Amino acid sequence: MRTSSRLFVGIFIGLLIGLLFGWVIRPVEYIDTAPEALRDDFRSDYVLMVAEAYLVDRDLELARVRLASLGSRPPLNFAIEAIDFGVENGFNQIDLQTLNQLAVDLRSIPPAPEIGLQ
Amino acid sequence: MTRWGNFTLIIGLLLGIAAGLFYSWVINPVEYIDSAPDSLREDFKSDYITLIASAYAATGDADRARARLAWVQITDLASTLGRLAQNRLSTGRPQAEARAIAQLAAMLGERPSPLLASPTPRGAATATPAPPSPTFTPTTTPSPTPTPTATASAPFSLRTKDEICDPALQETQIQILVLDAAGHGVPGVEALVVWDTGQDIFFTGLKPELGPGFADFEMQEGMTYSLQLIQGDGLVTGITTSSCTDIDGESFAGSWLFTYQQSTAP
Repeated sequence: MRTSSRLFVGIFIGLLIGLLFGWVIRPVEYIDTAPEALRDDFRSDYVLMVAEAYLVDRDLELARVRLASLGSRPPLNFAIEAIDFGVENGFNQIDLQTLNQLAVDLRSIPPAPEIGLQ
Repeated sequence: MTRWGNFTLIIGLLLGIAAGLFYSWVINPVEYIDSAPDSLREDFKSDYITLIASAYAATGDADRARARLAWVQITDLASTLGRLAQNRLSTGRPQAEARAIAQLAAMLGERPSPLLASPTPRGAATATPAPPSPTFTPTTTPSPTPTPTATASAPFSLRTKDEICDPALQETQIQILVLDAAGHGVPGVEALVVWDTGQDIFFTGLKPELGPGFADFEMQEGMTYSLQLIQGDGLVTGITTSSCTDIDGESFAGSWLFTYQQSTAP
């Protein structure tokens, strides 16, 4: 076998070992994640918790702050996504109504003006 | 194969491993986009637990609160909730949050959760467990022992003030026990302690092992305190450590227990 061939065989085998180690044996661990990385079901439940608390305290600003942990998109989007998830996955009527109430109230807030537009 | 050939193979192998690790750790690492609450960063986890408490305070759904707490996988729940409530107060968060945490702690203290005793194994983020939604069945099952909550309409009155001379207590305390009209402990009741140089707020229910209506505050010797229950009808002033004597005749500083009870509804 030629020297260059040996080199490439070595690289190929080493690559396989490296990928196996990096992806399977010891993958990168994310132990300090943010709520926006939550799985859909947990994320929907997070929104539901916000909605449940909102139903009593009626503090829409607090609800918006809590929903902001889920990402930079408008809070209303998270509420709508949670409703969609709830409908698909059989949330009970009370939960759906709770989510819907939050969504309706979030919708009532005028969107923030975009910077730079007259 | 010559020695030079082996050397080339090993060099290639090392280069390959390095490239593989670089690709799998840096360029294209395993992504945990579907994480579970137990992997949240500590501050987010605190917010998450507070949200569980707020939702529980709003709905009174204990089973759901337990299920949610099980996802977070907290090892020492009682002390975690106690620390969290104090932390929320000290950082200026709404007092309703601390009250909600106290109610949650009290509820958990009344009925220990089997879910909390056997948390799901770590790594649930990559598995495909059933979504939480199926557990959200209509809450038609009445709770057999609903946690009493304070009502604004009936204030708490100071019933007794008892000296606590217990050498086993590591600190001198102002202890309060808040009961409803039926004599059941009430969690989440806010108490204000004021002294010359400061003040503090604490809530009942954060030590559920001592009862849902119990709360304590550490006193310093030589300091004089005033105590008021926010939903109470009077202020207790001039509270100092009591003078106790142990079985050997030596004196030590003791504590006080103030028992409040809610008046019957007007």
